[in-house]
Amino acid sequence: MYKIESKNVDFFYGPSQALKNINIAIRANTVTALIGPSGCGKSTYLRLFNRMNDLIDNIKLSGQVLIEGEDIYGRGINVDSLRKNVGMVFQKANPFPKSIFENVAYGLRVNGITDKKIIEERVETSIKQVVLWEEVKDKLKKSAFELSGGQQQRLCIARALAIHPSIILMDEPTSALDPISTAKVEELIYELKTKYTIVIVTHNMQQAGRVSDRTAFFYLGELIEYDETKTLFTKPKEERTQNYITGRFG
Amino acid sequence: MINEIKITKRKKRSQAIAFWIFRLLSYSIVAILFIILSFIIFKGASVINWNFITQMPEEGMTKGGIYPAIIGTLCLVAGSMIFAFPIGVLAAIYMNEYVKDGIIKRIIKQMTNNLAGIPSIVFGLFGMSLFVNKLHFGDSILAGSLTLGLLALPVVIRTTEEALKAVDNTFRQASLGLGASKWQTTSKVVIPIAFPNIITGLILSIGRVSGETAPILFTVAAYFLPKLPTSIFDQAMALPYHLYVISTSGTNIEASRPIAYGTALVLIIIVLIANLLANGLRKYFGKKVKMN
Amino acid sequence: MTHLDIELQHLKAEAIKMWTLVNLQLNKGKVSLLSLDKDLAREVILSERRVNAYELKLDRDCENIFALFNPVAVDLRFVLAVLKINNNLERTGDIVEGIAKFVLNVDNTFDKQLLEITRAVEMYEAANNMMEDVLEAFDKEDTGIARRVFQQDDLLDDINIKANKIVADYVRTHPDHIEPALYLLSIIRKLERIGDQAKNMSEEIIFYIEAKVLKHRSKVEKSKE
Repeated sequence: MYKIESKNVDFFYGPSQALKNINIAIRANTVTALIGPSGCGKSTYLRLFNRMNDLIDNIKLSGQVLIEGEDIYGRGINVDSLRKNVGMVFQKANPFPKSIFENVAYGLRVNGITDKKIIEERVETSIKQVVLWEEVKDKLKKSAFELSGGQQQRLCIARALAIHPSIILMDEPTSALDPISTAKVEELIYELKTKYTIVIVTHNMQQAGRVSDRTAFFYLGELIEYDETKTLFTKPKEERTQNYITGRFG
Repeated sequence: MINEIKITKRKKRSQAIAFWIFRLLSYSIVAILFIILSFIIFKGASVINWNFITQMPEEGMTKGGIYPAIIGTLCLVAGSMIFAFPIGVLAAIYMNEYVKDGIIKRIIKQMTNNLAGIPSIVFGLFGMSLFVNKLHFGDSILAGSLTLGLLALPVVIRTTEEALKAVDNTFRQASLGLGASKWQTTSKVVIPIAFPNIITGLILSIGRVSGETAPILFTVAAYFLPKLPTSIFDQAMALPYHLYVISTSGTNIEASRPIAYGTALVLIIIVLIANLLANGLRKYFGKKVKMN
Repeated sequence: MTHLDIELQHLKAEAIKMWTLVNLQLNKGKVSLLSLDKDLAREVILSERRVNAYELKLDRDCENIFALFNPVAVDLRFVLAVLKINNNLERTGDIVEGIAKFVLNVDNTFDKQLLEITRAVEMYEAANNMMEDVLEAFDKEDTGIARRVFQQDDLLDDINIKANKIVADYVRTHPDHIEPALYLLSIIRKLERIGDQAKNMSEEIIFYIEAKVLKHRSKVEKSKE
């Protein structure tokens, strides 16, 4: 069974159609990259998986989005528990104005976990998972804003991991980072793959190549090509894909 | 080549002229403020001393202090804030965080803007007819505070809304993305981030409220009271009204002129202190949620 | 270790596997030549297919690394070197196949004395050693070992040049053995070419480790640089 599946998905912002008949199936424990020029619908598509688009007024969706076989837009779906299962990391590191510890603990607290021991334990393992523990273990009580941009982004990933999701969505997670921090986050993605299913939107095609198993190329709201990253980057089937990844997009 | 030099010269000249105009204008604003301030300080500083601040007015307000007016103004400011601040902030939160874009939101917004545009004397009349007469509060601190509160409400709502709008949407998304509810997101993430800017709303409304004369004219202000108010149903004196009274209809206008300037100076100082205090608070909270 | 490092290590391991296979093939070819063992020769010819399969696989691996990781600096030079070494190894495999085919075709009347006077066996051994050394240089990233290979090639050149005269003399005295003698001469040519392949591979190794281009320089320069 596929971890994430979308069937004939159309999506509208008011009168304009942002996604046209998207069919994608994603296996568990893989990294899937969504690439394409700005405004191609890749971010919109990513935000379908945790119903983040619900926050926008005047939207319309048709088709099915299945996670673990269940239609997440179906009736009787608890959006809060869906979002617990589907973590998200944003373009700009956005730690809350709280301490490093409280940032990671936030997700646990809002989900009703009050046991101090469990919280401490989960915070520690989550920060360790993003290879940040050695850098912050002595200043957990300090504000998260004291960390560097790259550290903040890893903290945000830890924050998402703390509530034990099985899927992580990443929306251009390194576009605001320097090359070294970018490399660290990419390595992290590669490691996290063993435990999580990751979908990542990226403007950086080399990044898609480096981190992903499969790549989907979006253009003007359409899914042009979806294939193994190796194949897509060496022998794309579609001319438009080739033009985009070689930088000849006109 | 020569042409180019000419053009460069011309560009430089027009730039210099523009700069000078801007500089002149901004300096003149500072100058005007400075003139007003120094005028008031020059005229009023001589009467200010400890007794002036702590004593009752004497001999038809030509002598003595302005103690009851200071207390009255402080009471009115505090009372109006207690009324306007929670309602304004909650209304703004509701409007910005909960109401979807649409006709209802537009109506509320338009009404708030209209409220801000109503002349203050109209608030005074409204306060008199509703609080003083209809609700039988009489001329009282309560009626005055409520009227001033109404006046401050649009300022509080608008600045709070701006503060909430300035909070980057990804903070909300990050919180909701962790399975938090809307209220958890608003109370634990959005408001703490917006707090320093919400305080700005408080500063602005305090400034506005403490200087208003018209709304208190019919609702609370007393011409002269020999004692301090003891409850919220008492009348009170207030600095702006006191200033108005002793400079237009006092027993001896010429004799009380220095006291009038002293009162103006005290009013300005109170507003200044309130601003500084609120600014300090804002910086303190701002440091806690410092963005980078 | 980064993701790219893992891929590069994997590539290196694959290249070493292919290399070991080619060296083994070379060795078997030598034994079959000495003993005229036709079964062994057939085995050599069969294993050539596996070498070809490796070649395709390494090509594809390099292609993927270029496309997905955009390697730079030492990583780029390494993948380029592997790509070329891959080609050299495949050529070496072809040459050994040629030698094995000769063993299959030759009849039992072949005069083994010919192998000795032309020093073909000695040459074969030298070529074999060269290949082993380059592999070691590649495995240990040791340019010192790679440089030694250039000197070893002198022996191969020397034997190759002298073989002409020796074979000519032999044919004059043994007119009935002209055909096998000419075949042997072609084997000596092939061995000389194996030496060239080994040299090319050494150049690639030095290029990737030290970023120095040694192609088209004299041997003395190469071993000194």
